[in-house]
Amino acid sequence: MKRKFGAVAAALVLALAALAADKQSLPKDLPAYGPIKQLAAPHVTEVKLDNGLTVWLVPEAGFPKVAFTLAVRGGYTADPKDRPGFADLIAATVTQGTRNRSAKQVAEDLEAAGGDLSGNATPDSILIETSVLSSKAAAALEVFADTMQQATFADQEVAIAKSNLSSALQANEAEPSFLGRRALYHALFGEHPYAITSPTEESISKTTAAVLRTEYARRFRPDRTLLIAVGDFSEQNLLATVRASFAAWKSGGEAAPIETTKPASLVSKAIVYVPRANSVQTALYLGTLGPNRSAPDYAAARIGNALYGGMFGSRLVNNIREDKGYTYSPGARLTLNRETGVLVTRADVRNAVTGASFNEITYELNRMATTAPETEEVERAKRFALGSLALQLQSRAAVARQLANLWIDSLPPEELALQGQKIENVTPQDVQAASRKYFPAWRMTVVAVGEEQVIKDELAPFGLEFQKAP
Amino acid sequence: MSYGIGFRLEPEGRTGFAHLFEHMMFEGTPVAPKGTLDKVIEGGGGNNNGDTRYDFTEYIETAPVSALDPILWIEADRMKTLDFSPANLENQRKVVEEEVRVNVLNQPYGLFFAIDLPGLAFDTYPNKHNFYGDFKDLDAARIEDVEKFYNQYYSPNNAVLAIVGDVNAAEVFARVEKYFGPVPARAAPPRANVEEKPQTAERRSVQTDQLANLPALAVGYRMPPRRSHDAVVAAVVGELLHNGQASRLYQSLVKEKQKAVSVDGGLNWPLGNPFEYNGPTLLVSFVVAPENTQEDALLAAYDDVIADLGRRGPDAAELDRIKAKMRSDWYDQLEVPIQRASTLSHAVLFDGNADRVGSIPDEIAAVTADDIRKFAAQYLVKADRSIIWRVPASKPGDRK
Repeated sequence: MKRKFGAVAAALVLALAALAADKQSLPKDLPAYGPIKQLAAPHVTEVKLDNGLTVWLVPEAGFPKVAFTLAVRGGYTADPKDRPGFADLIAATVTQGTRNRSAKQVAEDLEAAGGDLSGNATPDSILIETSVLSSKAAAALEVFADTMQQATFADQEVAIAKSNLSSALQANEAEPSFLGRRALYHALFGEHPYAITSPTEESISKTTAAVLRTEYARRFRPDRTLLIAVGDFSEQNLLATVRASFAAWKSGGEAAPIETTKPASLVSKAIVYVPRANSVQTALYLGTLGPNRSAPDYAAARIGNALYGGMFGSRLVNNIREDKGYTYSPGARLTLNRETGVLVTRADVRNAVTGASFNEITYELNRMATTAPETEEVERAKRFALGSLALQLQSRAAVARQLANLWIDSLPPEELALQGQKIENVTPQDVQAASRKYFPAWRMTVVAVGEEQVIKDELAPFGLEFQKAP
Repeated sequence: MSYGIGFRLEPEGRTGFAHLFEHMMFEGTPVAPKGTLDKVIEGGGGNNNGDTRYDFTEYIETAPVSALDPILWIEADRMKTLDFSPANLENQRKVVEEEVRVNVLNQPYGLFFAIDLPGLAFDTYPNKHNFYGDFKDLDAARIEDVEKFYNQYYSPNNAVLAIVGDVNAAEVFARVEKYFGPVPARAAPPRANVEEKPQTAERRSVQTDQLANLPALAVGYRMPPRRSHDAVVAAVVGELLHNGQASRLYQSLVKEKQKAVSVDGGLNWPLGNPFEYNGPTLLVSFVVAPENTQEDALLAAYDDVIADLGRRGPDAAELDRIKAKMRSDWYDQLEVPIQRASTLSHAVLFDGNADRVGSIPDEIAAVTADDIRKFAAQYLVKADRSIIWRVPASKPGDRK
């Protein structure tokens, strides 16, 4: 019922460049943009405890709430080779009870503080997050600390979690988005741990409470953990609670290896397809490796992606949605892992226009790679990107999440402000160079989820091999 | 900008029209052709969206304050008239049909808990029809329908504009007067009667799902009228049952009895929070179950939870917890300015007063354990509920 697919409204600007508005194509009576207000990125206080725990505090006035994020280094990258997606199992069970609290008590104590504890694995981390009332922040922190130091992985809780993860995997395997992403990442990353998007049935069934306890000790360690608090709190008081509840935490035994290599760029020359009976659409994914946050052309690629398919007023959306009506949900994203970015174009299109849509997507990709962008669209994309940075600072939970992502990438909190400057400095020439490097259609690994015969008939004219996803 | 029109009041024979119309609001005007709006807002560092629900349709824009004037101008421009283009209607009809495919026809469960459940629970067109639209109705829509709907419902006197951010109220009121003041009011159609006759017996239905791998249950209870103390109690009951890992249904069905994989639901779920509707609504539960679950076994476990609430109600600690959670969630809903603006505009539409937004945590705080026990015993009864059990069709190559 929304105009846009999965759009999240959020609102900032570090410094919007004064804009020479594209006056010709805009209505003559449209008022001009007003003066830019300078907006500073949030100030982060960093404290390091003796046990190595890093603490980032961002006190700010407003609603009486505090968002907490605990980030632990090592996600799917730290999973044992024979248990891909194990990080999901540990994230699902670490919140299910401690020596001091049953799983139900953990949930109830968090609820009493106005929160809900959720653990999630990412490729490079495990994140545990909640958002609670300021008046109950200390109580919530104690539950957090208890979870990080005293989790028990009770047999009964592990059995329930395994059964639920197995059912969730079954449920997910009915979703085109899950199937498409799994096939794409597998084709893009091969044996590299970034190929992992979920546990397998085998990795779930192999997991035992004993293995979880061992891995907990190897992975949940203060010197590999960052605690972030953003919101309405007294820095001094909160820090005292942090010290009281986390100071006794010690790293024990051998640490799990978490380092991973920079992945090689694999390009599948075949169309990878996932047969899905009764599909009335084909879900198309075109993906390739892109820059990570530290890469010199990261900002330029981000602007290129925005004007190609990231904005609503982008080339791709204008073409296959607003002009041709092939799809509701076209878009392109640059997703960031520590060692690499991933550029993904996605569109769910009705069966009969699968081939026509693929043709237009590859056309727009190759147009990015071979022709210079218009100055107007580069300026618009830059302002859009700067505004998005600002908008993402409006929610405490979103600030906490962004700070966690920077830390996982070994970047300082100041990077929040630097990102704005990097975007401002991007020139049309930078965008063209990044687009030539990242956007050629031949670089893309193509995944199609849908009716097998539709995919094969519709995409046959492109002369590519077909390869069934494993 | 929230307009007081949603899919409840869309014309018969035109299911899905309120939402298709919403798309047409982005298709340009005589002075700001298609594409202009996105250029102005995204070029101002912002983003925008539209959303149609039962009783409102909202258009939201969020951007740095420097873009306020152009955004107000362009929002006022589309309140004056639209570019009623048959070609653009054809284009958006296709886009909306793809939206229905991606969210309903190509999805496991196909939103049956949101579309088919009200269809079973209610008896009159406004409340029971498929709000996303049957394709034959979407295909039947003409540009004249777009023009008529616009003239009937998209007038300033049927709209609420809320602005939240780093702005000065007096200055903003002056600008809004400048841009919107000249837009004339138009007569609105009399509000249709959307009341339902009382339900007399439990309604049951079984569906087959060609895409899902696991069975699922949807239960909908008819709720008391919105402007009553009971409606606030209903909101609390919805959260007690469904909100988070401490909730009753999660603890009982997922953890204790392991009859469910996931539990979702609440009052007016999933198409809004428990306070933003203006007509008959349901308290909904959506439960996904492990494969080979039998409906009777799952429903018996579900009924135990409901019966216990009606017999004993919550204890003091549980009630305190859910009140803290709801207060905390309400602050989250208001934290980001565009969400606060949206919530405020709905309160003005439905309560005539933006202050309702501020009083909701206190209204929740006033609910007692006895209120909840009585509510559950009175409203969460079989004669007032509808149930759909949705089972996967057997497929070749099923994983067993």
